[in-house]
Formats: sequence, C-alpha cells, structure tokens
Amino acid sequence: MKRYLIVLSLLVVAGTAAQAKEHPGKAYIEKNGYRGPATCEAQGCHPGTAKAFLSTVHWKHASPVANVENLDPGKEYGMKNRIYTMCNGNDIVNNLKEIPPNPKTGKTKFTGCNACHPGNHISDAGSTGKDAENAVDCLVCHSSAYDFRLRKPYKDAAGRVVMGQDRTPKAALSVGKPGVKNCMVCHEAAGGGVLIKRGFAFVRETDVHAAKGMVCVDCHGAKDHKIPTGYDPNNWANDGVRVACSDCHGEKPHADEDTNRHVARIACQTCHIPRTGGATAKDFTRWTQGEDGFFEPTTLRMEANETTPVYAWYNKTVRNEPHFIGPKGSRGDKQSRIYPFKLYEGKAYFDKKTGMLLSMDFAPPMATGDTLAGVASAAKTLGIKEYDPVPGWQTVYFGSSHLVTKEKALSCANCHAPNGALNFKSLGYTDEEIRKLTSAALYFDKMAAKQKENW
Amino acid sequence: MKRFAIASMLFVVAVAAAGFLSPRAASAEDIKLVGVITQIDIAGPDATTATATLKDNKTGDLVTVIVTDELTLDKFKDHRIVTGDEIRLKYEVKDGKNTSKYFRKTAGC
Repeated sequence: MKRYLIVLSLLVVAGTAAQAKEHPGKAYIEKNGYRGPATCEAQGCHPGTAKAFLSTVHWKHASPVANVENLDPGKEYGMKNRIYTMCNGNDIVNNLKEIPPNPKTGKTKFTGCNACHPGNHISDAGSTGKDAENAVDCLVCHSSAYDFRLRKPYKDAAGRVVMGQDRTPKAALSVGKPGVKNCMVCHEAAGGGVLIKRGFAFVRETDVHAAKGMVCVDCHGAKDHKIPTGYDPNNWANDGVRVACSDCHGEKPHADEDTNRHVARIACQTCHIPRTGGATAKDFTRWTQGEDGFFEPTTLRMEANETTPVYAWYNKTVRNEPHFIGPKGSRGDKQSRIYPFKLYEGKAYFDKKTGMLLSMDFAPPMATGDTLAGVASAAKTLGIKEYDPVPGWQTVYFGSSHLVTKEKALSCANCHAPNGALNFKSLGYTDEEIRKLTSAALYFDKMAAKQKENW
Repeated sequence: MKRFAIASMLFVVAVAAAGFLSPRAASAEDIKLVGVITQIDIAGPDATTATATLKDNKTGDLVTVIVTDELTLDKFKDHRIVTGDEIRLKYEVKDGKNTSKYFRKTAGC
C-alpha cells in the first residue's frame, strides 16, 4: 500500500511537472520551423537519437528472437517478415501500396502492414543511413497535437508511395513523453481493425492502471527508445529488455501470505486478468465483401473483456509449428508458471508440399476477394515458384497482460471449486490432487473471516 | 416457507412493474449500421460532445448521432477519425436523439 502511495505521488508530481514545464527549443522551432529529427538534434539536443532509433524494433520491425523454437538463429524476426494467421501478411509481402480498383465501384485505396512504420515508406522497416534518419517521424509518438490528416499515404511525382507526416511547428511544440493515444494509434488497430488483435482498450473502465492515470510507457518505460515488452508467445521481436509486474509490485505483492505463495507458480495475470478480448478466429481463405465493395478477412470479433482465457504452463519459451504457436512448459518445469492466454484460431493456406503456412499480399483479395491471387502475389515477391495451397487452421496463444483488474480478480473460490476457472486435469494434476484442490475446505475459514470483515 | 413464497412473488411483481414503467426499458433498442462519415461537428479542443453524420452503406440514408465518449472525441480532435472514414456504429434513441454507443473505424492495418 505504502509503495502504491509513493508511486502514485511520484506520478502526480511527474504529471504536474510535465504539464508545467515547457519543452526546450520553442524559440528555435518558432524561428526555423520543424524539419524532423534534424530539428530535434539541433543545438546539441538529442544528439545521435535518430541514428540510434534505427536499431530498435519500432524501426526494424524485427529482432533476434531467442525464446522461440524452429527459427534460424542467424535471422531476425518480426512483423517485417513473420507469417502467422492473425495477419497472414507482413511488411514485405503486404507492403504499403495502392490496391487494384474494385471491379464493382472502380475505387482503390492504400493498404499495407507497414502503414504503421514510423518512417515515410521511402525509408521503410530496417532501412539505414542518412535518409532513414531524416525520415523518422518523431512526432507521431511524441506529440500530443499531431494532426493525423497529414499522416496519410500518397503517390509522389515519381509514383512512389509515400507516408505523410505532420511536421508542423504546432505538433513540434507539443512534444513530450508518449501518451496512451500515441501508442494506441498503431497498437489498437493492429491485426485488421480496432481491438482485433490485442483486444484491449487501455481506458479506465477496463484497466486498473489506466484508471490510476498511468500511460503505456509508465510500465513500458524505454531507454534509448528500446521498449521493454513481456513474453507474449506470439510477440517475438523485442529490444532485449523486458517488463514484468514484479518490476513495480515485487515478488510478494499481497498482504496475505497464502496468496503470496501462489506467485511462485501462478503468474499475476492469471488472477488479475480474468477476461480477454479481440478476434477469436479469422478466415483468410474466404474474405467478406463490405458495403463499400472492398473485401476483408472474415473475422469473429469480440470486445475487450468478452472472452474467457485458456490457462497453460509457460516457461517463456515458445512452441512454434505451422499449425500451432503457443507456450511451452509443464508443471514439472520449475521455470513454468500458469498464465492466461487468448486462444485464437486462424484459417489460411498451407503449402501441401512443405506443410508450411503461406503468406498473402492483401491487395488482390481486398479488391476482388480472390485470396489465391493474394497468395500468388506473395509467393512471387518471396521467389517461391512451386507451391500447392490447401486451406488449414493454425492455433495461436496470445499473451494476456492488459485489462488488469483488482476488484474483479479471481479469488480462492474462483479456481478452487469443482467448476472453477482452472482445468487442473489439463494442467497435469492427478484426480486425487484435484479432489483436494477443488474443495472448499482449502479456503473456507479464510474466506469466511474475510467476508465478515468486509460486511 | 409460506412467508418466503409471498416475498418472492412480491419481488417478481415489483421487478416486472419496474421494467414496464422504466423509460430506459421502453427506449433502449440498439441500432447498428456501417457507413461513411459525411460530416463531423465539434465545438473545439475542450468539447465534451460532438455530432457525426454518416451515410448508411445499405440504405444510403444520412444518420446523425451525438458522440460523447472521450476516446472517440479525442480521435475527432486530432483527426484520427475524419470525414470519409467508414465506421461501424451502434446507437440508441434517447430522449428523441441518436446517441452513439459504439463508434469505430472498420479499417485496420
């Protein structure tokens, strides 16, 4: 409790300070305008930052991945080149472009996975050099007054697809620590629409941290733009730094010692994130036509907090097979703890010859609904000449580390009951152990006392 | 047992009566549509309400809704949602006015 009060006080003080203190360089920007990273690095401020940023996951969309099986250790992986059935495309095969005209309406539009890349698309994911440094869109993450009308793709005089940026003095004069919206601009709409992939809104109604006024980077606090992430089995690229609940809450976060004992084998998320959200299934072999004439993958959407997680042992290493991406671990493995996951199933084309999942360029199916044309386009980009596409399903376990609740956290009876949240059988317990684990005798006196205290 | 049965009956009657009499229960029918924004009116950076007009993709009808949720208002203010965007909308008619309950762009990456 004391720790909480201290953290809260610091946040309030920091927030007040951030509001009161003007970012240096106002006079310089008012006089010279804003010219991107060159302005940020002028007058000795933020030297070398743009160059350093080019080595981060947010720029490269890839990194070495040490905890996932069946990967080439010499390669980097991420949304730049990964294939899985939430997205089925990536920056390479589904590169930002103008799609063919829809036959019904004659209309076209720009789309591509790398639409969220913080460059200008001419300098794209993983690019290096002076042009890349100059192309970094610092303000999309750091300005609270960014005008998103300016961040739209367009074709330049040479016919290249360029991603616009807001480089107005107004946006530049509103810089600071990224707020929630700066992060959610990209992260909330990943995977094909709002709350589709990750399925959480970081708002006070659905997350206890948001309710306390915290922002994403209060937990995902970056150093040199390397942003700590957790161990979502499906989120592979990382900057080599990690975030965990215990960074703030410690290893004994509860007043009650019996509850603290659970921490050794039960992840915080298991009790404190009892619900998940977002898409539960998608079919990339059959796209649905919208009223505007364009097609989208057929998707089963769910709101934040609308689905129940599946629980599994996880030792932070990942089983990675064509039809399954998910946690490795077991009860016998002392590195494993029980975590909640969002279970997702995606249907896409697999190569009958190799058994591997095939990727898709979204431009053809988005315009006409022809999904095999999308596979053919991706295969051409990747230099795959022979393949035999057959539909198949892939199961993906998504980590569930947001939508944190204190009030609605699972308590003793939610798990230790015959119809409790945990399937002890599938978690490796014997019938005799399960009989003991699901008896009210385990917690009756404690809960009765607590009930009396509360009322 | 008899007292319990009488109390239960009274409770059921009370709940049913409350349901019939409540104006919320009489009006709260969600209406859903997908449409393109033709106009957004918002008073300024401190506005706590906005109106948005959408052209229903199916019928072509124009529907104007009041938007009050902070997240969507913020997206209007910094133009993350603009005229021309296609929206999945859910609204209810409250006191004769269309009030948005769900306002999201259909597009993603």
